[in-house]
Formats: sequence, structure tokens, C-alpha cells
Amino acid sequence: MSALEIMDPKMDSGIERSQYNSIEEAIEDGVAPIPLSMDRTLDVQCSIDVMDHLFSCEATWHKGHTLAQTVFTCIYLMRMERTSSHAVLNSFCRILRATCNAIISVVSTARTHEEEDLFTMSFGLPLRDEGDDKCLSILNSVEETISRQLRACKAQAFSKKKTPEDLESLQNNPDMEEDYCRAMLCRLRFRKHFYHVVMSMRKPHGRGLELARKHVASCLTELSLMLKSREFLKSQSNITLQDDENCTTASGCQPVGFDVSLNSRLLSPTPPRAVKVLSWSNAIRYFEKLLHDLDVICALSLDPVLENVLRFIVQFQKSVPDLVPRAFLQTLLVQDGKLYGQNLFSDVISRALSLPDIIGDKEFQMNEFVVQLGQLVINLLKILCTNAAWQRRKLGKSLQDWSTISIQLELALKREFGETRNVLHHENMCMRVSKQLLIWTQEQAYWVASRFLTLGFELDLYSPGEYCMVYWYMYVVFTKLIEKMQLRVLSSSETSRRKGKKKKDHSKDSVRDTTFSSSCLLLQCYVLLSEGLSMMLAVLRNESRSFQLPSIFNSEQERFMQHFDLLQKARVPEHISYYSFKESSSQAGITDLMKYNFFREIQKIIPSLRGSFASQPEKLAELRQIEQVAEHNRIALNIISQVGPDDPSMRVSFEFTHHPHFAVAVVKRS
Amino acid sequence: MEGPPVGSQSIPVSENASCNFTVTMDDAGSSSPAVAKLRKLLFRRMLIGVNDGRYFLGLFHCIDKQGNIILQDAVEYRSARHSAPPTEQRCLGLILIPAACWSSCQVDCSIDEKMSLLCLE
Repeated sequence: MSALEIMDPKMDSGIERSQYNSIEEAIEDGVAPIPLSMDRTLDVQCSIDVMDHLFSCEATWHKGHTLAQTVFTCIYLMRMERTSSHAVLNSFCRILRATCNAIISVVSTARTHEEEDLFTMSFGLPLRDEGDDKCLSILNSVEETISRQLRACKAQAFSKKKTPEDLESLQNNPDMEEDYCRAMLCRLRFRKHFYHVVMSMRKPHGRGLELARKHVASCLTELSLMLKSREFLKSQSNITLQDDENCTTASGCQPVGFDVSLNSRLLSPTPPRAVKVLSWSNAIRYFEKLLHDLDVICALSLDPVLENVLRFIVQFQKSVPDLVPRAFLQTLLVQDGKLYGQNLFSDVISRALSLPDIIGDKEFQMNEFVVQLGQLVINLLKILCTNAAWQRRKLGKSLQDWSTISIQLELALKREFGETRNVLHHENMCMRVSKQLLIWTQEQAYWVASRFLTLGFELDLYSPGEYCMVYWYMYVVFTKLIEKMQLRVLSSSETSRRKGKKKKDHSKDSVRDTTFSSSCLLLQCYVLLSEGLSMMLAVLRNESRSFQLPSIFNSEQERFMQHFDLLQKARVPEHISYYSFKESSSQAGITDLMKYNFFREIQKIIPSLRGSFASQPEKLAELRQIEQVAEHNRIALNIISQVGPDDPSMRVSFEFTHHPHFAVAVVKRS
Repeated sequence: MEGPPVGSQSIPVSENASCNFTVTMDDAGSSSPAVAKLRKLLFRRMLIGVNDGRYFLGLFHCIDKQGNIILQDAVEYRSARHSAPPTEQRCLGLILIPAACWSSCQVDCSIDEKMSLLCLE
């Protein structure tokens, strides 16, 4: 029976913990005074503390908590109308609320947040107000005032005489005026630029990306100024012992106007989670990472070539971005069922088929397979923008869809064009397009399968005893992927050859050919690495009986099925089973391994790849990693063969020190 | 009997409920008269006051020897101000109120039943 236990803090979200039953009671008792202090200096200090705590709460919310337990624990935010007499606080709260609203709408559109708990539900919190549209102008006027105050006090410092003050200072102490103005300004400016980043990135068709980049740079500048202001603020507070890693404000003081439990009933009746607000330093770090991730997205070139888009997302995911930047990326890529909101996916697919003539062809666009494939590509892009665990699960499930469509395409091809040889020219074109579509679909299925397998390493899903079968399967999948890629490019060049290409297309072709051949070569490196590692593990198992799977609970075959069930069901690839693996691995011997010497083969390929990747730093970085892996494994293999794989004094372990997916063998002699 | 009257009359089920119920169950499952009387109150609407000032109104689902009570389709009532009567409500569903947490308890029943239950004391 699942009854909520009353008065249990883990289950009862309504325990009267606060001495106040309602916000009104708390306000009456002076919990959130306006102004924050009668002393103007103290008022400024307290306002900065409130701003800092809200900043930390906002980062905590992004990381995966409810609004009610983070940002909206602030009574000033809950009763915004009270702050209208306090210009700084009012403008800050308004723009913060407007920014939160914008982020909620982006994350809700992306619809991946249920996995990550950035709760977009507000449960009746006051999230919107008519005044919020003017939040920017209100903020700008406050910023302008404080800038003038800063200029005035700097001028006074230089002139050293008392100028008639027609301008009221920010606070009472003239020695601290400059520092307080600076501290206040950088915080307000950060909010302003961050608001602009969010609003610009929301513009459809990626129109605001360049502007967003400029604001990102400004945000980062203001963040560093905020960090600099910490020393001054700490010196002004009367807290002597300040635990940097725990306090949520720069000064170390507790802010006024926050009550954690007043909103607890604005959550759903489900068990409440304890929320630890991020420390101020961690919040700064979070926003720095967030801004860097957003900057990478803003640098997106809106390239309609699908292969490049996929590569960009995979590269972007290497930095493990949080939910908010990933949601922005997804909403940028897929808008209104089009790529960047502009390119129809049928056109994207026709470009991917290397058949430029059918771009925009109405019949192609209306083809039921093309429509379905377009939907599959949309799903793939959305899945690739999610976190690693969710992504792998969904990729595995989508394999079935890709496989089903390729089977249907194959059947349709046989049905329509069957065994006939004498076909009209038009039908010939149709058949070529259909064949190309089939090959491309199969290629995509293998690409998804390879991503599914490699993500398993990032998620630590394989135990060392399973590496052998995993690398074997990767070797099979990568080989098939290269096969399909080559088939696709071959038939597209055949088509263009038959039609007689014009001169200007040759240069485009050569560029495409080099990129294609370098992608192929890179995949060839993956094949060699997988094959080499798989065989090395098989040899070690056969001859030294290490890397055996404990057979108490699961046999090796059961493990194989557990890992590759989705691939097997989708027949990606066909005619592969546990027995194929068993056969190839049981025959692995050390002499064969030395004869084929996969790792040396890789070292032969790498120099030419280095040339073609010269202008792409990320590719060069991966190439270096592959080189390291190949070299270390080659050396390890030499040692193993010299000593003999059955030598009991030798211990081999596999570590991922150079490349996240390809392990390096480490040989230890005892 | 603590707590404000809610319209229906209250039966005295005091805090030391445990010592009132001497449950002697034999193999056939019959028990003392006190338990039998309590059994008659099952699934009636019950209002329970909790130590921190909240009230829970729900269907009396079960009670054990220690006095822990389970209510079905419970609604939580709380006051927005310390002095004011409870006005805000929230639906919680199935809840368990430990014996140590509740301070008052009232059940919907007719006057006759009240009279017969009075001798529980």
C-alpha cells in the first residue's frame, strides 16, 4: 500500500516548517523589507546579496529542480509589485522572471526535460505580468543611472574637489561608491546580456545567432567582473569565517527575503526533494560552461548537409552539455518540421543521396517512403540532442524503424522493377533513385548502430569480459557502414557519369570525393582498431584464460543477447549471430594476430588522413588519439607475443586513457 | 475532545487510544467490544488534527493497535494565517498519520451512535 506518511519530511511536502503560514504573514513580520535597509549602503549590500542568491538559485533550477524550491523561494519575486519603489531590485527581478519564462518555453518545446527534471511546471507561481515586456527598458534606465553615478564618483576622485552633486550617489560611503557601483553594474549587465542571448537564440531560422554570440561574449566579461567584485564584497561583510564552497552569495552573507518552505505546497503532492542550492562559485562555473556551450551552437553554420549536421551534434555532445544548451540546439535544428525551419527534410535527404537533380522534385517529396524517412531523420536529430543515457535507449529502439523501412524499400524495389532489363529512361531514373534511397537508408541504420555501440563505452555499460564481443560487433557494423557508403557514392558518380557532367561540377565532385574518402579512411581506422582489439582479447582469452566472463549467472551467449538484442532484432546486420562471433573468436591465435597487425595498418593510413583533416582541429585531435591507441596497442602486442600470451606472470588490462571508445592494452609483469 | 466542531458531533477517541483497545483475538478473529465499535466507524468521513496545526479530512480506512490511522482520498486543510480558520486545501489521496502526530479526531455519525460510543470512556 503506498500511503503518504504525514509528518515525514521525505513524503509530506506540507509540513508547517516555517514560522509563517503564508507569504503575507512573512511580509508582515519583515522577512522581505522594502527598502532592504534604511542605511543606503546596507541596502546596496543586501540587494547584491539577493541578486547573488537568485543567481545561484537559477543555476540550481537549470541543473534539475523545481522553480518553487529555487528561484521562487524569493519573496520579492513572489510579490513583485512591492518592489516597484526599489528600482534596482524591481528591474532585476523582472528581467530574471522574463528570462526564466523564455527558458521554460525553449525547454518545453524541445520536450526532453522529463528525463532531467528541470521542472517547467510552475504550479501557480506568478510567472508572467504585463510589465515584463518593458523589463529591458526598465533595466536600461537603472543601468544608465548607476553608470552615471560611477562616472561621477570617478571624476570626483580625479578632480579632488567637491563638485556640486546634482546626482545622488548610489550609497552613503564615498570611499566605497566606486566598488559598489561596479559590483551592481556587472550583475545588472550580465542579466541584460543573458536575456539578449536567450531571446536572440529563440529567433526562428537561426537569424539571431550572430547577435547572440556578441552577447555571450559580453556575458562572460560581466561574469569575470562579478568574480572580481567578490573580494571587495567579502571585505565589507562582517562574516569572518567564509566557506567559499558553500555560500550562495559573493559576500558570504545570507540574503534577506527568502523562505524555502513557504512554497512547498505549490509542488505536486508527490514526495518533496531536498534541494541544496549551488554555491555561488559553482553557479558561476555553471553559467560559464552554459555560455561556452551556447557559443558553440551559435557558431553553427546552418549547413544543410545532413552528414555535417550529425557530425556537429556528435562533436558537441563530447563536451557533455547540460539540458538548456541541448534544448536550444534541438529547437534550432528542427523547427516546423524543417531543418533550421527552412529546409524540407525531403530536400535534405535528396542532397544526402548525392542526386542533386531531384532536390525540389515534387514527386520525390510526396513519395511515402521519403516522407517516412524525413520523420525518421527528425526523430534522429532530436534523439541525438538528448543526454547520453536517454539517447542510447532511444537510438536502440529506433533501429527497428530504420530496419523496417529498408525492408519495405527493398520489397517495393523488387516489385516495381523486378527482373526487367528493358526499361525506359524515366523508369531507369526512378529505379536509380529508389536504389540510392535504399542504400542510404541502410547506411543510416548502420550509423545509428555504431553510435549505439560506442555510447555504451561512454556510459560504462560493458565489463572487460565483454569488450571482445563488443569490439567484434563494432568491427562488423563499421565494415558494413563503409560498404554502404562506398556503394552510395559509387552509384551516384555512375549516375553523373552517364548524364555527362559539366565542367564546373568536377571541382565540387573532387571536394566531395576527398571528404568522402577521408571519412572512409577514418572509418577504416575504426574497423582496424575494433578488429585488432577484438582479436587481441580473443587471443588472451583462448591462450591465457583471462577476460573470461563469470558463468555463474549468465552464459556468454546470454550476455551477447543482452547487449545486442536490439541490433539482432533489427537485423543490423543480417546473418550475424552469437555463433558467428564464437567461431571467429575461438579461432583467434597469436600468430594470426601478429601476421595481420592491424595496429600497424592504422599507422600507415594516418599520415594521409592528417593531410585531409588539416583545417579541422577536432578531427586532428581524434586522429592523434587514434594514433596513440594504435601505437600503445602495437607495443603491447609485441610484448605479449614475445613473452607468450599464456605466461602467468603477465597481466593485461584495458584502459581508456587516450580514446573514449578504443581501449589501450596495459601489460604488467609481476 | 480538542479541535473546533465541524458540524457533526464528535466521539471521544482520546490520545491514549492504545490503552482503550485491549485486542484479544481468538482464532475465529472476533475481538473485544471496543474494536467492534471501531469497526463500525470504518469508511466514514473522519477529520484528524495534526500537531503542526493542519487538518486532514478523509475516509477512515484503518487503524492499528498503536493508533496509526490511514485515511482514503484525504484532503489537507491549513490556515493562511495563524489566527484564522483553515481555508486552503490540497488533495493528497491515501495517507498514513502516525499515532504520535495526530492530536484530535472526529468521525461523522448519528446521535444514537454517539450515545452508544460514549461508554467507550
